[in-house]
Amino acid sequence: MQFKVGDLAELFEGEVLRTTDNNSVVIKIGGKQHTLQLLKSGTNEFEFLLDNSFHHAKILQLSTAEVKMMIDGQLLVVKKHSKLTEVLENASVIGVGGGDRNLTSQIPGRVVNIVAKPGTEVKKGDVIVVLESMKMQVAVKAHKDGNLKEIKVKQGASVARNDVLAVIE
Amino acid sequence: MSKKITSILIANRGEIALRVIRACRDLGIKSIAIYSDEDIRAVHVKRADEAYHIGPAAPAQSYLNMTKIVETAKAAGADAIHPGYGFLSENENFSEMCDKNGIIFIGPTSKAMELTGDKMKCKAVMKKAKVPTVPGSDGIVEDMQEAADIADEAGYPVLLKSAFGGGGRGIRLANDEKQLRQEFEMASAESRAAFGKAALFVEKYLERIRHIEFQLIRDSHGNSRHLFERECSIQRRHQKLIEMSPSPVVDQKTRERIGEIAVRAVDAVDYLNAGTAEFLRDPQGNFYFIEINSRLQVEHPVTELVTGLDLVKLQIGVAQGEELTFKQQDLKMNGCAIECRINAEDPFYEFAPSTGIVPNCNLPYGPGIRVDTYLYPGCNVSGYYDSLVAKLLAWGRNFDESRIRMKHALDEFMIEGINTTIPLYKTIMDDRNFINGELSTDYLDRFKILNKMSENAKEAAKKSAKAAVAAVLLQSEFVRKTEAIHQSSIPKSKWKMMRG
Amino acid sequence: MHEEKIKRLASMKKSAESGGGQERVEAQHSKGKLTARERIALLLDEGSFVELDKYITHRSDDPTLPKFYGDGAVTGFGTINGRQVFLFSFDFTVLGGSLGEMTSKKISKAMDHAMKVGCPIIGIIDSGGARIQEGVMSLDGYGEIFFHNTMASGVIPQITASIGPSAGGAVYSPAMTDFVVMVENVGQMFVTGPEVVKEVLSQEVSFEELGGARAHATKSGVAHFIANNEYDCFDKVKKLLSFIPQNNAEEPAIVETNDDDPNRIDPKLINILPENPYQQYDMKEIIKSIVDNGDFFEVHELFAENIIVGFARMGGRSIGIIANQPMYLAGALDINSSNKAARFIRFCDAFNISIVTLVDTPGYLPGADQEHNGIIRHGSKLLFAYCEATVPKVTCIIGKAYGGAYIAMGSKNLRADINYAWPSAEIAVLGPEAAITIIHRRELKNAPNATDTKKKLAKEFRDKFANPYIAAEKGIIDVVIDPMETRPMIIQALNALANKKESRPWKKHGNINL
Repeated sequence: MQFKVGDLAELFEGEVLRTTDNNSVVIKIGGKQHTLQLLKSGTNEFEFLLDNSFHHAKILQLSTAEVKMMIDGQLLVVKKHSKLTEVLENASVIGVGGGDRNLTSQIPGRVVNIVAKPGTEVKKGDVIVVLESMKMQVAVKAHKDGNLKEIKVKQGASVARNDVLAVIE
Repeated sequence: MSKKITSILIANRGEIALRVIRACRDLGIKSIAIYSDEDIRAVHVKRADEAYHIGPAAPAQSYLNMTKIVETAKAAGADAIHPGYGFLSENENFSEMCDKNGIIFIGPTSKAMELTGDKMKCKAVMKKAKVPTVPGSDGIVEDMQEAADIADEAGYPVLLKSAFGGGGRGIRLANDEKQLRQEFEMASAESRAAFGKAALFVEKYLERIRHIEFQLIRDSHGNSRHLFERECSIQRRHQKLIEMSPSPVVDQKTRERIGEIAVRAVDAVDYLNAGTAEFLRDPQGNFYFIEINSRLQVEHPVTELVTGLDLVKLQIGVAQGEELTFKQQDLKMNGCAIECRINAEDPFYEFAPSTGIVPNCNLPYGPGIRVDTYLYPGCNVSGYYDSLVAKLLAWGRNFDESRIRMKHALDEFMIEGINTTIPLYKTIMDDRNFINGELSTDYLDRFKILNKMSENAKEAAKKSAKAAVAAVLLQSEFVRKTEAIHQSSIPKSKWKMMRG
Repeated sequence: MHEEKIKRLASMKKSAESGGGQERVEAQHSKGKLTARERIALLLDEGSFVELDKYITHRSDDPTLPKFYGDGAVTGFGTINGRQVFLFSFDFTVLGGSLGEMTSKKISKAMDHAMKVGCPIIGIIDSGGARIQEGVMSLDGYGEIFFHNTMASGVIPQITASIGPSAGGAVYSPAMTDFVVMVENVGQMFVTGPEVVKEVLSQEVSFEELGGARAHATKSGVAHFIANNEYDCFDKVKKLLSFIPQNNAEEPAIVETNDDDPNRIDPKLINILPENPYQQYDMKEIIKSIVDNGDFFEVHELFAENIIVGFARMGGRSIGIIANQPMYLAGALDINSSNKAARFIRFCDAFNISIVTLVDTPGYLPGADQEHNGIIRHGSKLLFAYCEATVPKVTCIIGKAYGGAYIAMGSKNLRADINYAWPSAEIAVLGPEAAITIIHRRELKNAPNATDTKKKLAKEFRDKFANPYIAAEKGIIDVVIDPMETRPMIIQALNALANKKESRPWKKHGNINL
């Protein structure tokens, strides 16, 4: 399987070759073989030796396409199936697999200002709503050009991370 | 005038509430905490001797609710209130309300607060006391020639500031007299159009400035002491990020000289208790007074580490009417301390606020490390209050020892569930300019620190990439294996296709 | 010597796995769609897929019909997060994913296996429909699948992922499954396509408008979920599976490591209700507060928005939630919402998932439109479903609960086990305003100031009757609870009821008013 790690351009080819005894796994990354010695495992948390070097990993979020984890204290997102992602990204380009209409919130907060008007044309980067959190105001900008079909939140509403704020078509 | 304080209500939350509770504990004083709906499980509530619910989450209805707080203090029998920093700490009405209700306000008098709160009035008082202030007009300038004269005296470039409307609005730069005349015309017209009159100030424009402040304490017997300087130049949007003591550009002579000026400043306003005199220092080494912060500050531990004093205990002592026992010459600067303000913000994403439960955290410790925080595994970082979650301090015998200890403490500091500014500080601790003491209030932009931070993240990702891929592969293996073990160990499934 | 045989196997395998050939695969990719095998790789745990009937070919004697290994579908078994599942994935690269006699045989076989083993069956639909060249045998093929869907219904969970077309009779199979996830702009379902619609009715409508994901998720209710893309589609299938058991004899897994304290009280809950009882509020805020980690997996989110249904966990236990949504139609019940909730209840009942109902409804939506479209018939389904269900049922009345709608929303008489009410609950035959116009008709006629008298009488009525204590006195409400304790109260009830066993009189099946 092909993996994309964080923002690195280089893609990593990785697979499991075999499990040797109870706690050892032989894997191949980028054509090279490595031995993984599992030291401790819990739900979504692992301590292991990769070629004799200690690592601690905690899986924070697992979905079909990506794994969000803390690896040695560092937050990293590993994207799986990079080749397939290319096909699917092509889908958005040709207008198939439409799902990008939703403008979602990256942070939890409260809506303090609704700036844009539904029914108007917006450009990528235009401020749609302003959220407030931790005494800071954060402007949520349009993620693409299009028609602002609907603003799904009211002034004063509380929003959570990934809540849909507006629909742009 | 001495009144022994036996109980203190802390009108605040988070790490500063915990800090005051600790001082109370040391002195055998009963600590009374208040909490909003949001802070039911907060650590300061758990540690205080008594805790009272004060209202819903929104600050206006809880931590800023003066009446409710004073009522609670009276009901709880508190002798005194410590306001912490932020919230009501510089609110003279609150201080007055405490006085009226026979509760000692641990801080300056409302009169002193009123004076220090009014920048123009304060500046006038400072000038009289021969405290150097930023050159410019003493008040509003209505006349073009007056503006030109003042600008001449202060020295170009100058800023034209509108008296009404703050925060960067209506600020114009003039590099010479010709530009000044042009800008003055336009600015006056704007001001007249918007507010009905032309009200402008002229102020010398200072570039590449360093923010250096002096900690002060003054008792009710008129004794003033300065507790040396802190350099707080590294800022973002006027919020301090890193503070340290001593400042790399302050030698002993300068320390004594400016310290004396700072003392004169607090004497001039008849200050009481702990406060900070803030100065700007230009590249030529001139210091200009900006303002007095009439409260205990976030960065007070920096001073505690290099002087060995406990500032909160001193505050309580002064509030009790005690006289300061040490003389100015008794104080010695010992070693070097650095503080990093750990905020719940994502430095890779425009410092977007990050809230939520912290399922797990690992606080660093070891020689010279101090952490002031309200974090504990399972605590809630709320969107209703500010983003400061921890203050990480490192002390060393010299700057380098302190810096390296800070670096490693940052590596050890692990906070799960929220984004923090730790990666930013890791980058700064290794930054050549920081190491050389090349600081100014535009430090982040000047040395493109955020770019360096992103580069470092990429490097770190590279190093961890293989381990990350290994972890993902492990995870899918693990799922398969545990399921196999699980299947064999659970009792036989109840499945049978029942016929009705 | 044996080498030859191994070589042959390897080449056969390669041939079978290339589907309709390199060109067809590229065509599929150029449309932004993944192949059948790629989708299976996304859905199942790495390395867990075992393919069955890989080398099946059609038996048609039509010489123009080429033979492909697999005959247009990939079937087999594997695990999802360690749980056993069987699945079938149509292969659009082979004869347009059309269904022939043998395609149907292998899909039916997979469904049979799932039934024997007692595990979910998942179908990925990307098909041009019946294979014309195989004539009646392809119709026979669909018929077989429909029968299997029906036999499996209520025995093992059946989930459909619509990631491509599905037209004509073929759509009835997904319709009979328990949940349908459609990928926006990719999944399409309709009985009669746009061309025929244009020909017969002269109506112009695009594929997407007629039978796309959004149309089915908002208008027809055929789709339970819209996915943004194929990744999202499989994420949703996996998430759905996490709430439901493997089969009808088992209960959903209880999540032991529960970060969210079952005893967590929320003092903010009562403040979600506005002071003015006629003002709207979002019921989902209440739901998010009481469930574990605020994690609510909504089903049919865009259909019949006046009622909310979905899965969540409380105290680690998977439950189905049904709740009125005051933000839409004031939370009134109507045809679509009755259907939506009734089907959801029956699914939960079939698969041993406890039901939690939150009530705030002013009654049924009035109007000739509702009456003539059969609100009487459809409304009765909701009552029927609640009564029929023998899983633990806990109801909590939050606000209004008037008349027949009060009864319909998991009331005591429908054999809910534990009925809670908030102090703000209003249980009455009619809302105060409507009630007083009837009771005090004469007084109002003769009143000098009708509006003021109306207000006064309405308030009196509200204070006297529209509160939960009268019902509590009669035992119809078990206990009036403090809103902030809603979560622990419901969890404790669910724990107490965990071992509930209830029976119903034997019958071949009831006659629910379909």
